[in-house]
Amino acid sequence: MSIQRRIVGPFNRVEGDLEVQLDIHDSRVQAARVSASLYRGFEEMLPGRPAEDALVVVPRVCGICSVAQSIAAATALRWLAGMEPARNGQLAECLTAACENLADHLTHFYLFFMPDFARPAYAGRPWYPAVAARFRALHGEAANDCLPARAAFMHMMGILAGKWPHTLSLRPGGSSRPLAPADLLQTLALLRDFRRFLESRLFGDRLETVAQLASVADLERWRGQGGGDLRGFLAVAEDLGLDRIGRATDTFLSYGAYAGPDGRLWPAGFWQDGRVRPLEVEAISEDVSHAWLDGGPLPPSLGQTHPNADKAAAYTWCKAPRYGDAVVETGALARQMVAGHPLVRAWVAERGASVTARVLARMLELAIVVPVMETWLRAVEPGAPWCVEAGLPADGEAVGLTEAARGSLGHWLTVRQGRIARYQIVAPTTWNFSPRDSAGTPGALEQALAGMAVPDGDLTVVQHVVRSFDPCMACTVH
Amino acid sequence: MTETFYEVMRRQGITRRSFIKFCSLTAASLGLAPSFVPRIAHAMESKPRTPVIWLHGLECTCCSESFIRSAHPLAKDVVLSMLSLDYDDTLMAAAGHQAEAIIAEIKQKYKGNYILAVEGNPPLNEDGMFCIHGGRPFVEVLKETAADAKAVIAWGACASWGCVQAAKPNPTRATPIDKVISGKPIIKVPGCPPIAEVMTGVVTYMLTFDKIPELDRQGRPKMFYGQRIHDKCYRRPHFDAGQFVEAWDDEAARKGYCLYKMGCKGPTTYNACSTTRWNGGVSFPIQSGHGCIGCSEDGFWDKGSFYDRVTGINSFGVEANADQVGAAAAGVVGAAVVAHAAVSAIKRGRMDQTNGNK
Repeated sequence: MSIQRRIVGPFNRVEGDLEVQLDIHDSRVQAARVSASLYRGFEEMLPGRPAEDALVVVPRVCGICSVAQSIAAATALRWLAGMEPARNGQLAECLTAACENLADHLTHFYLFFMPDFARPAYAGRPWYPAVAARFRALHGEAANDCLPARAAFMHMMGILAGKWPHTLSLRPGGSSRPLAPADLLQTLALLRDFRRFLESRLFGDRLETVAQLASVADLERWRGQGGGDLRGFLAVAEDLGLDRIGRATDTFLSYGAYAGPDGRLWPAGFWQDGRVRPLEVEAISEDVSHAWLDGGPLPPSLGQTHPNADKAAAYTWCKAPRYGDAVVETGALARQMVAGHPLVRAWVAERGASVTARVLARMLELAIVVPVMETWLRAVEPGAPWCVEAGLPADGEAVGLTEAARGSLGHWLTVRQGRIARYQIVAPTTWNFSPRDSAGTPGALEQALAGMAVPDGDLTVVQHVVRSFDPCMACTVH
Repeated sequence: MTETFYEVMRRQGITRRSFIKFCSLTAASLGLAPSFVPRIAHAMESKPRTPVIWLHGLECTCCSESFIRSAHPLAKDVVLSMLSLDYDDTLMAAAGHQAEAIIAEIKQKYKGNYILAVEGNPPLNEDGMFCIHGGRPFVEVLKETAADAKAVIAWGACASWGCVQAAKPNPTRATPIDKVISGKPIIKVPGCPPIAEVMTGVVTYMLTFDKIPELDRQGRPKMFYGQRIHDKCYRRPHFDAGQFVEAWDDEAARKGYCLYKMGCKGPTTYNACSTTRWNGGVSFPIQSGHGCIGCSEDGFWDKGSFYDRVTGINSFGVEANADQVGAAAAGVVGAAVVAHAAVSAIKRGRMDQTNGNK
């Protein structure tokens, strides 16, 4: 009985470079190794630069989640200076972050995830003709719906922040861009258009109705009541059993999202064994035993990055972050588990995490956040301060935690004599696509793939699982 | 028979009317007279489609992200249809070996007749291990794919200059693509990322006129990189009047004064941000109250703090005499223009030679 080794990659329709190596025996995945094949060395080039320059360099870790990177850096500098940002600045930050995160959720669903179901392999399924016409990569009609709606929505970035990707307006003290009443109106109008797109094409229902679905029974009832792309996905998911594949450790991490003037919209926390606990930042460490890097497991506050391309046991550039000993999953599903969304909690309690659960959590966030953005916009007081000034101390340590679309993002910073002495980044996909640690425990995706059935060696299902995490490989290794 | 651009568009469901509109839009965005519209239309109806291979090296995908949000949905759709992005990691449908096979097929079928667009750059340290593409160092894939290309587009600061991953100490030896590709015309479209409309503009020009746009001495299309941000900045009058922002969100900031003292690199940066602007012409960094960081300039990442003031430019405030100012400025600009023109002429000569040798 032989074990067949297959490599899936280079992966398309993900951000950055990714390969997955599978050991297959008897039409079942025995072991998976996830390899991030791109390394740039941000943690090596940031030391020596003025602390404030992190605001310009770090967003360039990723062209897709650059605002999240900006916010993590600004939050770390804020912590360093011991300052409270201006209220309007906090609202601007929330709005900018939400714009990026929601656009990412939309891109993932329409351009990256759904086109897999338009593959000829599914030609015999009852839903195939409709799904293929709508989602075929590049040529499906859904891309023509989604791209203009997304581009129009992102005009908001222009108004709020000047330029995206690689926005500059987000500061430790708030935002460099004061909004006038006319700007607020224009933004509100863009938000209305986006809401209309979501309600007519994606949900076929009001956002509030979708956001308030509270149980699996609610969802089942709702499914039978109309059209829209989410209902289309749910039908595909049911037919293919996507709710039964892709389960990782069912241990979830969230740093808490959208820190506005009245606290966070969703709280920080750690979910394990069926309950949520307070986040303990000290529990986080990074292991490099299977990465092309030298060093031992260290907390990010003392983290090191020393590449060693010849390391024998290694198979990726990605470090292995752990929460205590736990392998955790992060992302929209984790955020909603920690925040306690009733439908998400009920779904996972019943069936565990899965491809379906991850997609559903992302779509719920679209429905929840757009109305909240409207309230943030109304809370802005144009005449009040947008940014406060505070000098940065010459020496200190700081942590900046935030939630990117794909999950928990943390920056750990040490400053000496006004210059960066250490800068360590732990990104969402670093958690999800982590390699094995020194105990040999595989990362979240590796565990999700192990044990999967791959009848006739068809790896399409593997692709669904990989994409369900919405990986961002540029962030992962940086 | 290879399809023409027009046939490809019609197949994509684009109407004749939209096609003509697109031709007008193209002429306008390239700064051409309306008389060019029929010429563009004729070119597109008669020329076979040029395939484009889009490769990703060491990068962050910001260029792709910018590209897919080009302001005119029509222009973007049409350009996407024309390109068909025969090979693009981020968007295409195929995966794995199937995807590799597409590159091989285009290379063979359209030998010497496809455009290679490169986002990101190759790292050369550790035999290219820092960026592996289908099991091979990216630099090998890049050189091979470039070898049979008609021309190469260097998207963004990464491909053009190296960008932040080449920042000291440049751990991976990230290297701009013109250092590893030789004998091919390379069009640099720098910026981090480049403006969407600049990207679609360059591609459209090359596809419609079947030639590369006129380049400056650094290899950038003159039509988009001919002027400094400072020259067309809407805050320029405040610079000339000596009215400056001194601190974030101060009174002067609310009034939209000049950001020079906050470290703005607009005076030394050639790009179209202050005219074309971002996110559908809505705004650009200076309009968001933050100085320009000069992201389209070579080495912008290693020129001291982004918040340091640009030195060595002739700034003048309310105290200066307008006559003195005018004379000094004219002298400097005159000399620069002459030098610029001379080098461009040499570069053009070289380009023709390259094409002729093929």
